[in-house]
Amino acid sequence: MNEIFTSIKRTPYQSFASFLILFFTLFLAVFLFGMTTFFNGILSYVETKPQVTVYFESETKESAIGSIRQQLIDSGKVSNAKYTSKQEALKIYKSLNKNNPLLLEMVSADILPASLEIYAKKVSDLPEIADQLNKLTGVDEVVYQRDVIDKLLSLTTLLRRVSVLILIFLVVVVFIVLMTTTAFKIALKKEEIELLRLLGANHSYVRWPFLKEGMFFGFASGSIAFIVYYAIFFILQPFFSSYLSGIPDLEFLALGSYGLFVWPPSPLFILLSYVLTVLAGIGIGYFGNYLSTSKYIK
Amino acid sequence: MQFPMGNAALRNVSFEIKENEFVFLVGPSGAGKTTILKLILKQLTPSAGTILVNNMEITSPDFNQTEDLRRMMGVVFQDFKILSDKNVFENIAMSLRIQSVSRSQIESEVQEALDLVGLKHKEQAFPAQMSAGELQRIAIARAIVGNRDIIVADEPTGNLDPKTSWEIMKIFKKLEGKKTILFATHNSDIVNGMRKRVFVMKEGELKKDIKKGGYDL
Repeated sequence: MNEIFTSIKRTPYQSFASFLILFFTLFLAVFLFGMTTFFNGILSYVETKPQVTVYFESETKESAIGSIRQQLIDSGKVSNAKYTSKQEALKIYKSLNKNNPLLLEMVSADILPASLEIYAKKVSDLPEIADQLNKLTGVDEVVYQRDVIDKLLSLTTLLRRVSVLILIFLVVVVFIVLMTTTAFKIALKKEEIELLRLLGANHSYVRWPFLKEGMFFGFASGSIAFIVYYAIFFILQPFFSSYLSGIPDLEFLALGSYGLFVWPPSPLFILLSYVLTVLAGIGIGYFGNYLSTSKYIK
Repeated sequence: MQFPMGNAALRNVSFEIKENEFVFLVGPSGAGKTTILKLILKQLTPSAGTILVNNMEITSPDFNQTEDLRRMMGVVFQDFKILSDKNVFENIAMSLRIQSVSRSQIESEVQEALDLVGLKHKEQAFPAQMSAGELQRIAIARAIVGNRDIIVADEPTGNLDPKTSWEIMKIFKKLEGKKTILFATHNSDIVNGMRKRVFVMKEGELKKDIKKGGYDL
């Protein structure tokens, strides 16, 4: 560690440049990781909702609905079709509006339609299923959520692609900055390096202090980027919470059973973000300085 | 040995140094003394000929043990090459650290070397606080630690006054018979005073090999 601090003291501006560029890159990486995982969580949540909901006319008999349900399941394109009778619809309505007696008085089971909540095996089959249902007699309305899913899907795909492009660009910039600053540091330690080589030090021994310094910068800037990001996040969390009040707990990659929630971020998810940020920082610091030392230490 | 522009640095140079022998390499500036040392240290590769060090043919195209070769040798330079940001102990210890020697061994070997060069009381001092003679003593201590059996010294008294030069030579005398020493110099007083084997170089050629010689060029 003393060696690292001596090097920082000797080259404060170069060290600050390395630190700053790593900090910005890793801060953006934590931010984009948070955003991407959040939208993926939203997408997964929306996909768990019925993709097509069919409301039947009040005259449609339960047996007819049952037969439509069976036809859908037999088609092989539907993973599940959940029937909700008028009475069950009333129960749901009552539970949703239990605090509003006026609304409860006005509604009876007769005016609420029976419905089928349909989950397709493939999102691509949704238009065909919706079309077929629209043609059937006794169907009042087909509510089809494909647009919502498609928009979310394209948004998350776009976000992921943009994030990857931004990160690639930043990593290239980081490598260039690290290579330049390390080249400067190597030039300052030229005499020591020559002496070490003459005493019989191998390449790895000569390189190691530079690699250690790169990893230290990656660790320090990753940790600080993480702290700054989550400090801002927790300051703004009350605002986010009120804005996203209807959204339930969002799992990270369906790992909710392990305590990994993107929203609200669980301690395990925060820990995972920290570990990934610091590992990315250490990795970039190590490889940036590895490339630099490969080029300048012969 | 030819430089890329075609001018020959060394010609017809052939010699053998026995284990624990003390040899002076003398000659005027430009005679090829430093080139010989650089060839032995594998800082340069000869255009023709063979160099054997401890039965290793270091000029072979297949030779890939440069680090091992250099770990057998200690080098002492005219300009000391002592790192200013490290104290005396650290400057000497770096010679051992590159060999992954244990801390306790580093401690004992450095103390032993400091004792030999007479700097035991200054192990925590920094180079800026030391005289030229003391800096050269540190360089000698750094050259002898870590089982380095061969000492290659390139004009080690070149930057020192006569009195300090003799003090340095007393340290080399203590190493006599324990290490193989190749000592390049053009200080005739020292060579004549020590009466050791002398290789006389002139214009890139080995002109004389005198058993108990002096500097009579």
